[in-house]
Amino acid sequence: MADVDVDVVVVGAGPAGACAAIELARAGRSVVVLERGPFPGSKNMYGGVVYPRILDELIPRWWEEAPIQRWVTRRSTMVLTPTQALTVDFRSQAWGAPPYNGATAYRPDFDHWLAGHAEAAGAQLLCSTTVVGLLRDPGGRVVGVRTDRPDGDLRAGLVIACDGVNSFVAKEAGLYGPVDAANYTLGVKETLALPKEVIDERFGVRGREGVDIEILGGTGGVNGGGFVYTNLDTLAVGAVLKLPKLAAQGTRPEEIIAGLKAHPAIAPLVEGAELKEYSAHLIPEAGLAMMPKLAGDGLLVAGDAAAMCLAAGIWLEGVNFAMASGMYAGRAAIEALSRNDVSTEGLAGYERRLSETFVLRDHRKLRRAPHLVLSDRVQHLYPELITSVVERMFRVDNPNPKPGLRRIVESERRRLGIRRRDLARDGLDGLRSFG
Amino acid sequence: MTTATSSSPSAPTASIAVCLKWTAARDDAGADPDDDRFAGVSAADRAALEVALRLGERWGVPVTALAAGPAGAERTLRDAIAAGADRAVRLDMDADADSRDVAFELAQATAPTGGPCADLVLCGDYSLDRGSGSVPAFIAHHRSAAQALGLVSVDTDGPAADGVVRAVRRLDGGRRELLEVPVPGVLSVEGSVASLRRAPLRRALASRTAPIEVIRTPPAHHRGAPAIVTPYRPRARVMAAPAGDDVLARLRRLTDAGAAPARGETVELAPADAARRIVEALRDWGYLADHDR
Ligand SMILES: Cc1cc2nc3c(=O)[nH]c(=O)nc-3n(C[C@H](O)[C@H](O)[C@H](O)COP(=O)(O)OP(=O)(O)OC[C@H]3O[C@@H](n4cnc5c(N)ncnc54)[C@H](O)[C@@H]3O)c2cc1C
Repeated sequence: MADVDVDVVVVGAGPAGACAAIELARAGRSVVVLERGPFPGSKNMYGGVVYPRILDELIPRWWEEAPIQRWVTRRSTMVLTPTQALTVDFRSQAWGAPPYNGATAYRPDFDHWLAGHAEAAGAQLLCSTTVVGLLRDPGGRVVGVRTDRPDGDLRAGLVIACDGVNSFVAKEAGLYGPVDAANYTLGVKETLALPKEVIDERFGVRGREGVDIEILGGTGGVNGGGFVYTNLDTLAVGAVLKLPKLAAQGTRPEEIIAGLKAHPAIAPLVEGAELKEYSAHLIPEAGLAMMPKLAGDGLLVAGDAAAMCLAAGIWLEGVNFAMASGMYAGRAAIEALSRNDVSTEGLAGYERRLSETFVLRDHRKLRRAPHLVLSDRVQHLYPELITSVVERMFRVDNPNPKPGLRRIVESERRRLGIRRRDLARDGLDGLRSFG
Repeated sequence: MTTATSSSPSAPTASIAVCLKWTAARDDAGADPDDDRFAGVSAADRAALEVALRLGERWGVPVTALAAGPAGAERTLRDAIAAGADRAVRLDMDADADSRDVAFELAQATAPTGGPCADLVLCGDYSLDRGSGSVPAFIAHHRSAAQALGLVSVDTDGPAADGVVRAVRRLDGGRRELLEVPVPGVLSVEGSVASLRRAPLRRALASRTAPIEVIRTPPAHHRGAPAIVTPYRPRARVMAAPAGDDVLARLRRLTDAGAAPARGETVELAPADAARRIVEALRDWGYLADHDR
């Protein structure tokens, strides 16, 4: 592999890029990480909960140093109609102690910290540098990148694209099929400041304990979902919105957040908070259905760039998938470089690793989930079905006797015009995905 | 005003220094002082660096970037090396060191006898934090060099042999002043003077490990007057109530609103006489007490 400036160029210093670089640098490979922002995480946004279990492999006892806001000890799933809310609320004190489960963190802190580990291992991080093209040899193999700097070509034995959703690099390499907007959702979020004591009080937590609320409904008729997460002294309140529907309806995303914040179940949580930040970002929602080829000659793709974000209703996980796929890409790259074979076949170890672990196994298992969760019935009919059934269960209609559950479900189903066949099929799909 | 005196042209410039004020933009209590994510330099400092690099190229002389500050300031110096500076020197000082201490150390570091000598010193005319623009004036004072501050353009195409830098300074009322600043001299520029070039990729990569000279400075010790710790406020004066029949009229008189400015005159004098005349006028108008003499 003569004629290269560096063994590996990693494009993007998000969670995927940082973990790829950590593996490579620790194996003694020269690696340059190119990041568009002024520092890792500077422009990156997400809802706010990371599940860093996979870091056990990379940074033992990561929880002692990671820049965490709160440890999630309460997880709620909420179903909203305009005037009703049904919440399933789970609390586990075990999640508030090592080795922890999920945590809220700010991306400018988290990504900066993770990329710091790559640098400490010997990777070279260069920020404020955007990759604008791929270098190829006459045979079409990727042999480096072109950046937006003067004399900006960098030749590398291998390129790992970790440049996030809508990956320019993976697209330019021809790894994606035609782009379909229906595969994406738009994530929008407000960061709202409140004193820590007020958050503790309203959410029923203490110290570093935190809350994760995922919401079905409440998105103003646009298919999607909402979320509320607690940081130390801010809340993250946002929505994930199906693009074609949002465009067709012509609603502004910030109006949808405003609607969510005004819902009687949410308003008391956010009352009096000061808006600190509004941000928006695309999510590769369709999962397996939209995944590109994961390797090309001289190129690997990881994280959101490979559509590995798992956005399936009660789950919104991307950072852990990005960290893991980045790590496995790093390992496959080390293998391929030492065998001197960075062809697509030589890089097959990457997909094999992903298939053996949660990265692709979760996606395979949940491949129907994104479609199901965003379907019109789940979005617009089932929330009302569930909440009105529960309302009738708990309503005291004396002197009438209490009705049986089956009769309530049946009459509500009929009232809402839901066909039995559809309900059974969706139930089965749900069972196949989540069961 | 004639701050830039044209003495006889001196020997060709041997080196250029540019001073960059690194500012940690986030000052949360307990924040890591070396965390430079939200830190940086002002647009004016970046313009100063660009002017220094252009003059250095034009004259074929090396450019040294200096920053007085804690270790966090080194990224700024690496960025300067990436853009083309030949050397980088950090004067190890607190981020909030007194401007006069900073200027004294920078003057030492750029003086012919001290460390990396520089004939021409460039600064931005404001930093990201306090931005009073006083450091370049103090450097010029310590170096006994000519100074031209708050420039809106600098001619970077003039030959080194001239021994002067041609520059334009903004005056009140939209007027401009063309200056010929002799070397050794100190210039400070506004942010609009030049936009800093993109650093080439390879230089940017190499700069991450480039050596940075660190000069340890003695603890705070600025010479002369005690440190100014509060913003300047003119002294209160006892005044007779203004004449006038109603409140509005008295208020008008008090504030000079609507009246032609009574004060101000244009004089053309040699620098020393001009300075004396200004002090006289200030005293006449009551801005200087006798003990300010
Ligand atoms: C609203 C919203 C809420 C979310 N909530 C969660 C959540 O709660 N939990 C969770 O785990 N996940 C969540 N996600 C998903 C998660 O944010 C992503 O899956 C994750 O960030 C992917 O990491 P990555 O490293 O692949 O890409 P990114 O984090 O997007 O990083 C890509 C990096 O590449 C850089 N880059 C891009 N192009 C170039 C270029 N051409 N040259 C150089 N650099 C470039 C970018 O600046 C960026 O730093 C959410 C996403 C959204 C939008």
